[in-house]
Amino acid sequence: MNAESPGMRLSVLGIVVVALFASLFARLWYLQVMVTDEFRVEAQANRVRVVPVEAPRGRILDVNGKVLVDNVISVQVTIDRSILDGLDKEARTEVLTKLAEGLSRSSKAKTVGDLEKDLANERYSPYVPVPVASNVPEELKIWIDEHAEEMSGVAAERVAVRSYPFGSLAAHVLGYTGQINDAEYELVAESDKPYTLNDEIGKSGVELQYEPYLRGTPGSREIEVDATNQPIRDIGGDPPIPGDDLILNIDIDVQAQAEQALKTGLTLAQGRGCQGCQGPVVAQVGSAVVLDPRSGAVVAMASYPTYKPADFIDGVSDSEFAYLDDPANFAPQNNRAIQGQYPPGSTFKPFTASAALSAGILTPQTTIVDTGEFEVPGCSGDSCFFENDNRKAFGSVDLRRSLTVSSDVFYYGLGAQFWRDQDALGGPEKFRDLLERWGFYTDTGIDLPFEQSGRIPSPRWLAEFCTEIACADGADTWRTGNNVNMAVGQGDVLLTPLQIANAYAAIGNGGTVWTPHIVKEIRDGVSGEVTETIAPKELSRVELLPEWRAAILDGLNGVTTREGGTAVGAFSGFPSGTFAVAAKTGTAQVGSAKAPHAVFGSFAPASNPLFAISVLLEEAGYGGSTAAPVARRLYDVLSGTIPLPPAPAGGTLEELLSLAPEAGDVRD
Amino acid sequence: MAAPTFSTRNHVAPGALGRLSRNPSAPWRHIDVVLVACVAAVSVLGCLMVFSSTRGSSPDSFDTGFVAKQALFVAIGAGVMLVVALVDYRRYRELAPAAFIMVLLLLLLVVSGLGSERKGTQAWFQLGPFQLQPSELAKIVVIITLAAVMAQFNNELDVRRLALVLGLAGLPMGLIMLQPDLGTTLVFVAIAMGMLLIGGARGRHIAALTLVGIVGVGFILNSGMLEEYQKCRFTSFLETESKACQDRGSSYNQDQAKVAIGSGGLLGAGLGQGTQTRLGIVPEQHTDFIFTALGEELGFVGAGTLLALLGIIAWRIWRTAQLARDPLGTLICVGVLSMFVFQVFENVGMTMGIMPVTGIPLPFMSYGGSSTLTAFIAMGLVMNVHMRRFS
Repeated sequence: MNAESPGMRLSVLGIVVVALFASLFARLWYLQVMVTDEFRVEAQANRVRVVPVEAPRGRILDVNGKVLVDNVISVQVTIDRSILDGLDKEARTEVLTKLAEGLSRSSKAKTVGDLEKDLANERYSPYVPVPVASNVPEELKIWIDEHAEEMSGVAAERVAVRSYPFGSLAAHVLGYTGQINDAEYELVAESDKPYTLNDEIGKSGVELQYEPYLRGTPGSREIEVDATNQPIRDIGGDPPIPGDDLILNIDIDVQAQAEQALKTGLTLAQGRGCQGCQGPVVAQVGSAVVLDPRSGAVVAMASYPTYKPADFIDGVSDSEFAYLDDPANFAPQNNRAIQGQYPPGSTFKPFTASAALSAGILTPQTTIVDTGEFEVPGCSGDSCFFENDNRKAFGSVDLRRSLTVSSDVFYYGLGAQFWRDQDALGGPEKFRDLLERWGFYTDTGIDLPFEQSGRIPSPRWLAEFCTEIACADGADTWRTGNNVNMAVGQGDVLLTPLQIANAYAAIGNGGTVWTPHIVKEIRDGVSGEVTETIAPKELSRVELLPEWRAAILDGLNGVTTREGGTAVGAFSGFPSGTFAVAAKTGTAQVGSAKAPHAVFGSFAPASNPLFAISVLLEEAGYGGSTAAPVARRLYDVLSGTIPLPPAPAGGTLEELLSLAPEAGDVRD
Repeated sequence: MAAPTFSTRNHVAPGALGRLSRNPSAPWRHIDVVLVACVAAVSVLGCLMVFSSTRGSSPDSFDTGFVAKQALFVAIGAGVMLVVALVDYRRYRELAPAAFIMVLLLLLLVVSGLGSERKGTQAWFQLGPFQLQPSELAKIVVIITLAAVMAQFNNELDVRRLALVLGLAGLPMGLIMLQPDLGTTLVFVAIAMGMLLIGGARGRHIAALTLVGIVGVGFILNSGMLEEYQKCRFTSFLETESKACQDRGSSYNQDQAKVAIGSGGLLGAGLGQGTQTRLGIVPEQHTDFIFTALGEELGFVGAGTLLALLGIIAWRIWRTAQLARDPLGTLICVGVLSMFVFQVFENVGMTMGIMPVTGIPLPFMSYGGSSTLTAFIAMGLVMNVHMRRFS
């Protein structure tokens, strides 16, 4: 056979065929035997998608077990991008136009452009449908279900959202939740309850503070998907674990009373105006705090103006958020009880007295003659003369009477003496040191975010302050006058309403300054078992000898009961014999053209206090006539004089016509 | 014929089996049982894999629509194979011119607008629930036509004769490129080259034609003839694909095919257990990528067995080409062998990433009426030649 013969050529063809089959075998061996493992991994990844399953967030209950924050099922409209992206441009626009038409019938109107913007949001995993409208009416769900064929990828699903059975009540304490932002995501990256970028997270209040407890542990679904990522079946996963429930110390019934009384107090202050005040009454902002002096438990904490946490469920628009944060609207989001810092005015006097008693420059027997005026000894210059409000002369005044009638001159002397005798008393910072023991100029450590620490000024503080901010000539040096002002809670002294209530609680309980706490205990979200109880925690202890406390108590008691007491009018008719209220009014000057803040600090029953209450009304007038009635109303219900009404469902409060007998302007 | 005439070899009446049963050289006594057995085995395996890849995405789904049709195709194909085998192949020579012209007309009609279009290729006539793909039948007709022509040349192919052969092959190829269908065109190239090699083409002519073929493919890829997606998937196996092709994800099909086969491992996931198959992750799996279903579910054992069966079929065709009593028989077998081996190598090679992706079915395995019928007709021709090697 030569090379040209058919037989030879057939052999060549045969060899080619054998070679081709051999190469197929070789390749098959390579793929299926030599590198099969990596393909197995790829095949597994092809078919399984792991989708996180949100766990229900823990509930928040009040001290009596009333549910303050719950989860309810609400209808959410979502769009599945994997389906929508499979459509051509025309069909896609048709779907979105149809959906926009449906949404326009509800209160959640959105344009096609809005929807496209939602879809472009990269926060959402491709396997999770993008929510475009939440909390929509049931009718819209029915409409969407009916038009499902025209809107492929659009679904109306039932999802769990936060609900607030008591509306805006305790809004500042509870806080609200919202979609996690990048900064928050960074913070919780290490959490053992992993977050995704479209998870809800606590944004303020208890919702923020107790986020690690409230958040449930997300579960997962392992879904087998086909080539078009359509789910075929569930092939495994972990069930989600609900978050822990929180039991608060807050009594929602008392909270309702506090908010109602606060709001009424402000309205009444606006109506009353202020005779002799240096500016017009504003009375738009205020706070009321009720503590348990035995433990620091926060029974009620009201801040006005307030907001509805439910408004945050869908996420608030930028304009809504700006409204809630705008000072022109008095920033309703701010919790004045812990974020507002105010000069305490005369409510500060018991603490000045306590400092003077500790320093040994005052005894319960010390008596002075109050002429209504005070001249700093050996002083020359502008700020050497101080006087009582309205230059009222109280005559012979001891510690008790100084509190009852609110003599400034009595305290001016103590402040001046702290400065004059500083070498003997322990230095220029001694006055501040003694005052700070009441839990001032520090965070109280309450379990709420964004707490402010107030300020107790001192020579050292002034020096630091004036290096940061250029002070006026002469104002950068601490003088006797600074101490004199400080002694009556003016000058640069700033306290939060919570600090005022907390310090009065400490007077009441004999000197223990507690760290106030909102949460009483934490319970397992499933079994309801208590997993953690928040024990009372001492913040500091103040030296308060029994005879000192007796004198201060007697003076404070006189404020509400004795002739000349600055809150006698507000407490007229109150059963002081069985439920004695120890209190002090304050009228804090805040500038030459403004009405003063009305302040009130108190505890009761005086002998064995169950409650400590502070009230502060910004630029509202005199403490005795505007702030005291708010506290009076609360003591009425707390003492049982007026039956405590249950908090109204939905939290809608009617304003009261009056809080306490009208007493006219009481100056302090 | 009144009495049995043992000497008569050339004039056996088809269908007269009963009467010829005692004739030791009767064609039916020389049926290639090995070939038939292998074809039957591959067809059964094919139906099995068509079912696996079309039964639905859920483990419980049991869609038999495709497998029932494929079983019907196989049954019809087997019947047609028998009919094709029974008529002496030498008589097909007379039918060749008419069949050739008819096929050309069908190809013209299909590209003229009567045909149905799918994925940019106009290759089908929609006949009720069935589709007829003229280019598949054209393969058979071209094999017979070329064999008939070249058998007369007695291994002497000068340039003029070569030109005639190339012209006959080129006409249907040109029409198929208009569809456009590069894969099927390349099958014709393989058929023509194989038959030219055996039919006596000169070495330098074959070398020149090979060169022209390579340049031609290059030209086609760079012309506007093919759809963009066809070009992309054709070139994607080289892993040097253009950015435009990468953006189209044109290597997806081949990547997933490799994953399916590779994940099968030695023993496979088990019948009905392959997730790449069940979940439809490999596109066109019941047709062109049927080998991936086999690879995934029955592993190297199953896929290797299939390759072995196909190899045996190729060997039996090659052997028949050798045993054929005349050049016509040899050339028909060589044409079928070239077609068969090229389709197997291209199809299986493409699923394993060593050949470019083109739409070529795997004989007896891929779902499809026209391709199954064509494969059976081709085997019928080979059986025909085998049966009559002594007559």
